[in-house]
Amino acid sequence: MDLRYSEQQEILKKSARDFLTKECPKAKVRELENDAKGYDPALWQKMGELGWLGFNIPEDYEGMGYSFEDLTMHIEEVGKNILPGPYISTVVNTYAIVEAGTDEQKKDLLPKISNGNCILTLAWLEENGLFDASGVTLKATQKGGDYILNGSKWFVDCAHVAHNMIVVARTKDGSGEDGITLFLVDAKAAGIKTEVIPTIALDHLCEVVFKDVAVPAKNVLGKVDKGWAILQMLVRKGSILKSAESFGGLQAVFEMTVAYAKERVQYDRPIGAFQALQHKMSDMWIALGTSKFLLYEAAWKESEGESSAKEASMTKAYINEAYKLITALGVKLHGGIGTSSDHDVPLYYRRAKAADTVYGSTDYHRELVAQQIGLK
Amino acid sequence: MDFRLTEEQVARRKEIYKVCEELEKKKPKSYVGFESQFHNQEGWDFHRLCAREFAKRGWLALGWPKEYGGTGTMMDKVLLAEARGYYDLPGSDIFGVSMLAPTLLAAGSEEIKREFLPKIASAEIMFCELWSEPNAGSDLAGMTSTAVRKGDEFIVNGQKTWNTGAHFADWGFGVYKSDPNAKKHHNLTFILNNMKDKGVTVRGIPYMNGSHVYNEVYLDDVHMSAKYIVGQENEGWAVVNVLAGFERSNMDMVYGLVKAQEELVNFCNETKRHGKPLSQDPLIRNKLAEFACSIEAVRTLAYRVADQQNRNEMGLMDAASVKVFASELLEKFGQIATDLLGPHGQVKHSKWSKLNGAAEYNYQACFVPIVSMGTNEIQRNIIAWYGLGLPRMK
Repeated sequence: MDLRYSEQQEILKKSARDFLTKECPKAKVRELENDAKGYDPALWQKMGELGWLGFNIPEDYEGMGYSFEDLTMHIEEVGKNILPGPYISTVVNTYAIVEAGTDEQKKDLLPKISNGNCILTLAWLEENGLFDASGVTLKATQKGGDYILNGSKWFVDCAHVAHNMIVVARTKDGSGEDGITLFLVDAKAAGIKTEVIPTIALDHLCEVVFKDVAVPAKNVLGKVDKGWAILQMLVRKGSILKSAESFGGLQAVFEMTVAYAKERVQYDRPIGAFQALQHKMSDMWIALGTSKFLLYEAAWKESEGESSAKEASMTKAYINEAYKLITALGVKLHGGIGTSSDHDVPLYYRRAKAADTVYGSTDYHRELVAQQIGLK
Repeated sequence: MDFRLTEEQVARRKEIYKVCEELEKKKPKSYVGFESQFHNQEGWDFHRLCAREFAKRGWLALGWPKEYGGTGTMMDKVLLAEARGYYDLPGSDIFGVSMLAPTLLAAGSEEIKREFLPKIASAEIMFCELWSEPNAGSDLAGMTSTAVRKGDEFIVNGQKTWNTGAHFADWGFGVYKSDPNAKKHHNLTFILNNMKDKGVTVRGIPYMNGSHVYNEVYLDDVHMSAKYIVGQENEGWAVVNVLAGFERSNMDMVYGLVKAQEELVNFCNETKRHGKPLSQDPLIRNKLAEFACSIEAVRTLAYRVADQQNRNEMGLMDAASVKVFASELLEKFGQIATDLLGPHGQVKHSKWSKLNGAAEYNYQACFVPIVSMGTNEIQRNIIAWYGLGLPRMK
């Protein structure tokens, strides 16, 4: 047992921190919230050059081939800073191609992703808002060598600027896990209409309507009707990585809050001298500490190729709540200034809500945990 | 990161679990939770039985230096705590093994180490703590009991309170005001005494559930030998701080929760209401899953503390988090379990009780870990002051 960062992880964390502090200050975060694209293409290119977009892509496909655990540590720093745009989506969903793609699909897409020329997103959820298989109703019907997609997807991260989408579709009647197929779809294909939904984090989640969109059969990702297992792999990995981003965010708010409490003077003393506030900050510390190794355990298991479904769901369910708790306390302890849109804490507070349904809500993951702990 | 135990540790864990599983079969019927070791003679005899079994294997001296009879590693100590927690076994004197022994190793004279460490390791003597007083609880420095030096002895007078297990303990360790003129924090002496000494009177303070865990101890002209001072005369405060610094990983409490969760899951799978098992109620599933997530979170942090201690780092702030979080989870367990059982939730361990009476028991017993060893509110102060560097209360 050795629960310390490796030297490489220390370096990765530091370089991510240094890069984002310089390239993505909070002024840029605010600017991008109201920007039509929602991400900075120049920054995206730089990230490609640094290898950030090929972190989890094997070296054979022009990636870095780093471990899942290293990626987790890196994403933690990204979350600490905040990086608007489809970065987590692209990196997480890349796993679907890496693990389930054909050699042709890999050759076609992975180098492009790695070099910053392909934004990849996942079109999974629908208006029904369900995370289980019954929520997938978008139809894909075979016609000649193509599949024709009809239906609509909601909450698709940055679909309006994506180059490719992994679309979760139903290829067989029914509502179960069998009969779900994943398609790699050109985001600019004829019949696709994308609109940005105004959301709490202004993070450019889209409604994507598919009207008779033709997708060649060679773009099926994995096997026809058997896409649910791949999606579950994405949910598992995505839950851990999204939690890493959230964990970074909650650390940032914790640190800001403690620093402010030492600085802000009322009644002739720093407000951090008041026990009412001290104990809230101690509770933030406890929530942070208990989140940390839950996350690292899940990341380590996933990285080692061990079964991590239980830990991934526990991590997502737990950190979802810890992030909301800590950011809410962060706002309260800052007082009036903490409610201002000019202040950084609300940036995280809004993101804590946005993060909690990505790759499954708290309740969805608790149900998965319930199954894993043996409740019949 | 590497969460894996070494092959050697895995083998050791297996051995420890096996011994504990066997001991569990000898558990008296009245033994329901950690404090049961103090409830009655039957509980105390079981505590001593377990302690002898552990002592035989060198498991009460885990992580000590070899020259004082030490065996194994700090991680082995954690593994034993894990197994004891899981099987709800006593056998490791919280005061002697967990607190005093490491304090003696760090601050005791050679003579005192040679006299007491073997007796702690062999389970020959059990200790109790004589710290708190009626008017000095969390603010220990405000104590009034006195130790007046007279040649090679101290004459000790005063009243101590909340002394867990003092009614069974052989020896006590206490702090007393030894210099009325010295400044705060330089006026206390830390002394060991035999609980059979003349002038020591122990009276039980019934816990809210009626059981005997706590005591008050009256000291009337008790003669304590100066050779049993730990550290320097009048510098007992420093020893208190050393002792408080030997934070435990609290792995036993954490694994008590792991077991509690398993038992709740089994209960919900087996108990039907309206023709359906409780386990199929979505609200119950959600609640138990939330509980399980919290347990896993604190389990991983407790391992972080163990990993640090195994490297001789203290990890005090994380240890404080584990203490607060795990004890408050135990409180939550008492609430969840009593709620789940409905009217059965109030039934004490008996032929009528479900879940072996654990629901009613923990609904009350949870406050023992919450208020002892530095209340959770004091732990929150410690985190704020020493961990976060916030201004200290004057």
